[in-house]
Amino acid sequence: MPVFKAPAPGFSVRFSPFHEQRLLAAASQHFGLVGNGHLLVLDLAAAGPGGAPAPLFAFPTSDALFDCAWSESHESLCAAASGDGSVRLFDVALPPAQNPVRLFREHAREVHGLDWNPVRRDAFLSASWDDTLKLWSPDRPASVRTFRGHEYCVYAAAWSARHPDVFASASGDRTARVWDVREPAPTLVIPAHDHEVLSLDWDKYDPSILATGSVDKSIRVWDVRSPRAPLTQLAGHGYAVKRVRFSPHRQGMLMSCSYDMTVCMWDYRKEDALLVRYGHHTEFVAGIDMSVLVEGLLASTGWDEMIYVWPFGSDPRAM
Amino acid sequence: MAMRHLITGQGNCAPDGASSSNPLGNFANALLGQSSKAQSIKELPGAAVNVPSTSELGTADPLSTIPGSENEFKQHQLPFARGADFIRGSPAEDWIQSFRPPGLPEFAGPEAHFKEFDQIYNNTGATFGPALDGPPQRVLSGVLHSFLESGRAGVPFQPVPVPALGLSESDKQCIRDRSCIMARHILADQPEEYIQAQVNTLLHSLDIDSDYRMKGPLHGPFPEMEEYWNQSQSAMRSAPMHNAADKWITEFGQQNNNPENWALSFEQQYGPNGWASEFEQHQSQMAMMGGTNMANLAAMEQSRMLAQTLASNNDPKFQNSKFFQFVSKMSRGELIIEDNEVKQGSASQSSGWADEFQTQYSANANSWADQFVHEEISQGADKWASEFSSEHNQGGLNENWIDEFSKLHVGDEWAEEFGGGAFGESSADPWVDEFQNQLSASKQNSGASRGVYVFSDMNPYVGHPNPMQEGQELFHKGLLSEAVLALEAEVLKNPDNAEGWRLLGITHAENDDDQQAIAAMMRAQEANPTNLEVLLALGVSHTNELEQGEALRYLHRWLQNHPKYGGIAPPQTADTLYGPDVIRLFNEAAQMSPEDADVHIVLGVLYNLSREYDKAIASFKTALQLKPKDYSLWNKLGATQANSIQSADAILAYQQALDLKPNYVRAWANMGISYANQGLYEDSIRYYVRAVSMNPKADNAWQYLRISLSNASRADMIAACDSRNLDVLQKEFPL
Repeated sequence: MPVFKAPAPGFSVRFSPFHEQRLLAAASQHFGLVGNGHLLVLDLAAAGPGGAPAPLFAFPTSDALFDCAWSESHESLCAAASGDGSVRLFDVALPPAQNPVRLFREHAREVHGLDWNPVRRDAFLSASWDDTLKLWSPDRPASVRTFRGHEYCVYAAAWSARHPDVFASASGDRTARVWDVREPAPTLVIPAHDHEVLSLDWDKYDPSILATGSVDKSIRVWDVRSPRAPLTQLAGHGYAVKRVRFSPHRQGMLMSCSYDMTVCMWDYRKEDALLVRYGHHTEFVAGIDMSVLVEGLLASTGWDEMIYVWPFGSDPRAM
Repeated sequence: MAMRHLITGQGNCAPDGASSSNPLGNFANALLGQSSKAQSIKELPGAAVNVPSTSELGTADPLSTIPGSENEFKQHQLPFARGADFIRGSPAEDWIQSFRPPGLPEFAGPEAHFKEFDQIYNNTGATFGPALDGPPQRVLSGVLHSFLESGRAGVPFQPVPVPALGLSESDKQCIRDRSCIMARHILADQPEEYIQAQVNTLLHSLDIDSDYRMKGPLHGPFPEMEEYWNQSQSAMRSAPMHNAADKWITEFGQQNNNPENWALSFEQQYGPNGWASEFEQHQSQMAMMGGTNMANLAAMEQSRMLAQTLASNNDPKFQNSKFFQFVSKMSRGELIIEDNEVKQGSASQSSGWADEFQTQYSANANSWADQFVHEEISQGADKWASEFSSEHNQGGLNENWIDEFSKLHVGDEWAEEFGGGAFGESSADPWVDEFQNQLSASKQNSGASRGVYVFSDMNPYVGHPNPMQEGQELFHKGLLSEAVLALEAEVLKNPDNAEGWRLLGITHAENDDDQQAIAAMMRAQEANPTNLEVLLALGVSHTNELEQGEALRYLHRWLQNHPKYGGIAPPQTADTLYGPDVIRLFNEAAQMSPEDADVHIVLGVLYNLSREYDKAIASFKTALQLKPKDYSLWNKLGATQANSIQSADAILAYQQALDLKPNYVRAWANMGISYANQGLYEDSIRYYVRAVSMNPKADNAWQYLRISLSNASRADMIAACDSRNLDVLQKEFPL
């Protein structure tokens, strides 16, 4: 399967919800500390054994990009989370000169996470180091709402796969919070870990199940109906867990990546929860995704500037 | 506030007594803590004594030297190599390194101050102090007290355009915040207090003024946000949070009040007519330096923490991580962030803290006005020569500055204060110790895992457009230690470049480091399993390390993979090879083509393994008839003769090698061994000193030097040897 070389350390990858051969990637120079960002759209079909072709779309940005997300409503629209606090919308069908099509400058600090609402498809969230989340609509010039409550950087947001108004957020204040956009304050605060919570995701099949990944190296799975204790804890990563993502196809399956340079697949309902550990990256792994359109197709990117796409069960490095 | 700290040395804003918020205080601590420097340097490198029975075989033909370049090299390599080694030796220097050139000062009227500053430098006709040539230990231990009075060499001062080293406020905040947050993710294993004390306090309490300035503009357009921000700040101040965040936020809250009234608070503190105002001008210059520099400094602090943690991870994946290299470089100030770009800093070319300091001040002096007009950073590796000379000139600036400083009578005061006072106990010292422990632990670990290539943790060539070519050129020039760095950058970039690994291995071998040579050659072999030169080099290096089995295996494989002799060698059946069998095969090969020098070379090595030195000498002599210009071959002959107790002959052979390649460190060391073997210890010392001055990292040579010194009843110089004080040794034992 395709292997791409990114122009800079990779931070995020996302499969297109419209084209099974399209992958969006965000990369940033100098490990995101300072320098330019790059937004890329890659064509998986064009990648032959002879090497990776040029990206379909490549747009350099003035600051680092920490996350990216495809629009769920328009096949060529995507959003990028920038270190300068801006959220940028790109139409990858348009030439770079006409991009970004939207530039939202509201966050006071780095924007670290994005998630597009898969149900109400005109809405997406940004999570920022200014301790807030913001709700956006591509058609509106300013944010729809700002969600305050976290006491430290918010690293990630994830919409519920079922409820169009419900999302969860992961923060350095060690909590995961569940929000309803109709409510002024979080509806649930889970003191999820003893360290910062870097990522979280909802189970796509059970709307009350939430997984959180933390600097404490663990992944915890929660039932929001009884949030006092986690359902289970997945141990195995050697460093902070950077991202977790539930499978859109297999209930209970989730994917994680870590500062320990590995990508892991888990089934949290099994006793031996760890299914596979992939060590194909040579630097911190910062971005992962699972394709909605092609069952079992996985993607990862890391600070080794590599982007791998491979089917579950095979070796990412096998071309 | 920053100014007050600089004067009084008291960290009023440090929230806990445990850490200093005073940059100069930390600086002083770092310097004063240098008495243990000699030990730390000594302990770091692997202490194993390897007896160099033969030298490396290289297939040396393509690596001929460039006539003339060697002489040039001798003059320059010394400070370079020592600087690099020295920096690596101790964490304190890393800290000092982080005194990077400042950007635009935060304070009102910088130009006025600066003109004054400039004048000071120009008028005093700068002289060049001993910093560059002085041994680092002396420079460090005496820096605050005796260095002020130390003599000056007479290098005339010429204003040199120094790269403008500016860092925009937003960049600084960016780096600081991002590396801070990242550090917490990665340093999760460390105790909370550790992260807090080391990261947050150093970072945020230091960067007082610029921090506040930063927040304003960012929030400006969004009053709602700003309001919220302020609310959250004050809320957090009154109700501290439970995690690492609370500290810096609290600090930030405290700091918020001050910077705007910076001058005012200064006046309130000291009164308008106190001694303080007398020095106000000077101090504000210093504050400028401090205030603008802190973020950069703090970023390096951050990076160093990361580097340290990563270095303590034994996983070779981590050791070879590019990110690891990056943060290492950041932490040592080799990378400067400017205009949202990472650029190579001057630290890489410098030889110690003094340069860092100088660069900083001369950047101020020369280019304040221009700084933001033409922002050029000239640190190409190709310009090393000019860099070097410019650093010499900067040396003068430093002297002047220190001189000026001492006239103000503040230098001693604060130095003493930090030396004996509360700051002596502050976070810097335990931290230094801890870092040293970790560093030595990791070095030991990495040394213990044989065959794992250990990359230099500071590498200015990472990011170089063509490190391979650079490495080759440096190798040909004989700048072996520099060549190692360039080639490391190459193989980091292209891990499958067999030629890069091979040349790296050869460079290490010539530099008398067989462990690294083997590790590099093994990577070369991984990339290209049948490369004859690599196999031969591996055989030779293992021979040097007295690892007979491994040596035989590689030499046998050389034969198997040779297009001409492959037929002779049967496929390897047994796990262990029998030396005489392999020798027999090579003798067959030699009969097949007696004109093939390589076969004779391998035979010579094999006879060394079986300690049949007469036969080995004969083989090498045969090879030398075919390849008279092969300096490494002459060295091999010499080493073999030395082993067979023909030390007088050996010296002739080494002399041949050195005539062909004057900067051949290994041959210089071997020459010393031969003299020592003949009981001519005084002579041997001179050669060892030459060898270690060419490559201060040649640990074996240092060991031999020590032995010879004690044999020659020169116990008076053993201390200089232990502290690796090249200056003293060279003066005492000129060649």
